[in-house]
Amino acid sequence: MATTTPPTVLHLSLIVGGTLRDRNGGRLGKVDDLIVRLGEDYPPVTGVLATVAGRPVFVPASELAEIGHGRVEMVSDRIDLQHFERRTGEVLLRKDVLDRQLINVDGARLVRANEIELARLEGWYRVVGVDTGLRGIVRRVAPRRLGANMPPGTFLDWASVEAFTGHVPSVRLRVPHPKLARLHAAQLADLVEAASHNEGEEIMRAVGDNEELEADVFEELDAQHRREFIEERSDDEVAAVLERMETDDAVDLLGDLPEERREQVVKLLPAVQRRRVRALAGYDPATAGGLMSPEFVCLYAQATKQEAIGRIERSRAPADTLAWVYVMNLDRRLKGAIALADLLRADPEMTMGEAATFLPPRVGAESDLEEVARLMTDYDLTVVPVVDERDQIMGVVSVDDVLEMVLPRGWRRRFDVLGGE
Amino acid sequence: MAGRVAALRAARDRLLRGGSGRPRSWLSRRSARLIAVVGFLGPGLIAANAGNDAGGIATYSSVGAKYGYDLLWMMVVITVSLVVVQEMAARMGAVTGKGLAELIREQYGVRWSLFATTSVLIANLGICVSEFVGIGAALGLAGVPPQVSVPIAAIGVWLLLIRGSYKVAERIFVLMTIPFFAYPIAAILAHPDWGSVGHAVVAPNIHTSHAYLFLFIATAGTTITPFMQLYVQSAVVERGVGVDELNAERAEVTTGSIFANLVAGFIIIATGATLYLHGERNISTAAQAAKALAPFAGRYAEVLFAVGLLGASLLAAAILPVTAAYVIAETFGFEKGISRRIHEAPVFVAVITTLIAIGTIVAVIPGIPVISLLVGVQVVNGTLLPVLLIFIWRLASDRDVMGDYRNGRVFNVLAGLTVVATSGLSILLLAVTLGGAFL
Repeated sequence: MATTTPPTVLHLSLIVGGTLRDRNGGRLGKVDDLIVRLGEDYPPVTGVLATVAGRPVFVPASELAEIGHGRVEMVSDRIDLQHFERRTGEVLLRKDVLDRQLINVDGARLVRANEIELARLEGWYRVVGVDTGLRGIVRRVAPRRLGANMPPGTFLDWASVEAFTGHVPSVRLRVPHPKLARLHAAQLADLVEAASHNEGEEIMRAVGDNEELEADVFEELDAQHRREFIEERSDDEVAAVLERMETDDAVDLLGDLPEERREQVVKLLPAVQRRRVRALAGYDPATAGGLMSPEFVCLYAQATKQEAIGRIERSRAPADTLAWVYVMNLDRRLKGAIALADLLRADPEMTMGEAATFLPPRVGAESDLEEVARLMTDYDLTVVPVVDERDQIMGVVSVDDVLEMVLPRGWRRRFDVLGGE
Repeated sequence: MAGRVAALRAARDRLLRGGSGRPRSWLSRRSARLIAVVGFLGPGLIAANAGNDAGGIATYSSVGAKYGYDLLWMMVVITVSLVVVQEMAARMGAVTGKGLAELIREQYGVRWSLFATTSVLIANLGICVSEFVGIGAALGLAGVPPQVSVPIAAIGVWLLLIRGSYKVAERIFVLMTIPFFAYPIAAILAHPDWGSVGHAVVAPNIHTSHAYLFLFIATAGTTITPFMQLYVQSAVVERGVGVDELNAERAEVTTGSIFANLVAGFIIIATGATLYLHGERNISTAAQAAKALAPFAGRYAEVLFAVGLLGASLLAAAILPVTAAYVIAETFGFEKGISRRIHEAPVFVAVITTLIAIGTIVAVIPGIPVISLLVGVQVVNGTLLPVLLIFIWRLASDRDVMGDYRNGRVFNVLAGLTVVATSGLSILLLAVTLGGAFL
């Protein structure tokens, strides 16, 4: 976590509630809130909301001379009565940010803004960080005079913070969250799960521009959240996400949709994937058939090593299912298997039938999860082939799909005790 | 393989239909979800069951023993209030996806939030003590001294929360509260004068005594317990109930509340028809309270009572520390989400441990007056209740927070009446108590 301690740190809670003064120090009114424009690493103050003679007033940054604890001084000695209108990217620090959740991008976790810290940087007042610790709370609860004397502690650098803006009542406000791109899909999924639904939706929308990433996040989400977010998307959007997923994950996601929408979405998929999804969708997800991926490499026993490598090079199957290459006889029966590394080391003169001496254990589509898991453990396999009644290979189950299902729930979520199934 | 059950459950969640394969769905997904929400163990029913805990039983029994059916009318009023309050909590959870403490913090700032949290914690600490006292009393009926039973139970609950499978335990605890359904049967078998029961329900019989007011507030405090509202809202959030499922959740909360209060009403009737009529008006031990079940269970009354009391106390003893930990995490912005392992959520563990430890220490003090302590805690609860209710009421009617789902006009009046009535009672009790102390 990046932390800095610039020389003069101003605390938001000591600025708001202070007096608005003219050039000569005369009292004009009370400071209610600071406006900043998000989007930069250190968002600049673009104005002040104040109450003057009982009326709400907006003072743009160009009219401001100095901001300090308990007072904000203006350049001139008279005030233009202006009405505040939110411009793009602008938020009210106290109303929209203080006390709310923020994303600590570098820590990949949600934090709460207990205090917002400002400083004069590059010639103007900017937000430099948030205090997420107890110090911020103590300062705000303590009497004002005491709080002002509390030394500033370390705080979270604003450059590693993204604020949620979905609750800000303005349709024009669409603040991008570029810093989220620094996070891994699994981390983003964790954040979405920990945030409230609307905040989670904001994260999902923010990564939505990158369809590859969005699909990855969907794969990482738990069933409950995946369902929540997929249902809100249009058929086209769902199809776009599915297109980027591996077939077995795509089928899972499809299962989260209401029945009446599934067919519509499947129709929108490209032909190849549509066929694969339809084939997989017939199986119970707790069996080998439901877990398997239809993407694998299986060659005739007569094929050469060079042909095998060529097939692997052209294959679009994910790397984990390619850890083993399968060999079949002329009746397309599964005859043998060879680990990818062994294949690379094999004598180039040998046929696949000669090289693939290992007769792999196999399961039927109806085999349950436990059987698959046990086979993997007994034979130290990362991939198990699934065959039909004629012993022809239909797909492979890879260890990541099994592990996900057998991992005890408590390992992931320790204190999720209030949640449902 | 423990994970297998979970895995199959997850698999069932993801059951797929609509493909070319044979249909293997025994339930459509939508109705499966509805059952999960309305089902046996929704947040509302769990909260309501936990509400009939040690303090609840002690209070309802005391009410029945001391005043017979005279306070029955208020159970009707309180049920309406409870439904109104729980509906607001559930609705806020579904609409905002945030816990109550979190909303208070965001809308009213740190100071108010600290105020609310402090009062909730005081109330929770009291109830936590009362649950362990209840556990001690229940096993005391079996001849086990609380100095033995309470520490064991405390360690068990702690392990369950920190390491174990809470979901399974929750089901066991709820099942253990089933013996309390013996109260309606016992009440009927005691052949109460149904005419006077009916009259007591519709016609308020108000005494102007300190004890009456005391029990009145204890009843309100134990029925509309602050922690139950926090629990309902947090549980709705954690289960991901959205606004599209709001009506199902409303139904669940309403039936849970009515159901729990029916049982409470029958506890009053059963004690009123036995202890009150036999002149045993001031109960001070669990054994006395158990006598109300005698018309049904005869000499097994104590066993039945002990099992029910144990289940209800354990259920609440498990929910309470977690609720308190959620409140503290939400108020101070501590980690409560994202792979919450022990070392990543130390505050969570610390709060849970502290509450259980304090509850245990108090409950093993030899010779504590069990029933008066239990009822006393409920009075504290009832006195602090308005604080939380005002926040719930204001937040649920706030357009910024709730948008189109804010309180309607009629609803707002009902909620307002509940707030005013409970606040009035608290102030009255304080005035009477202070006045009594000075006179």
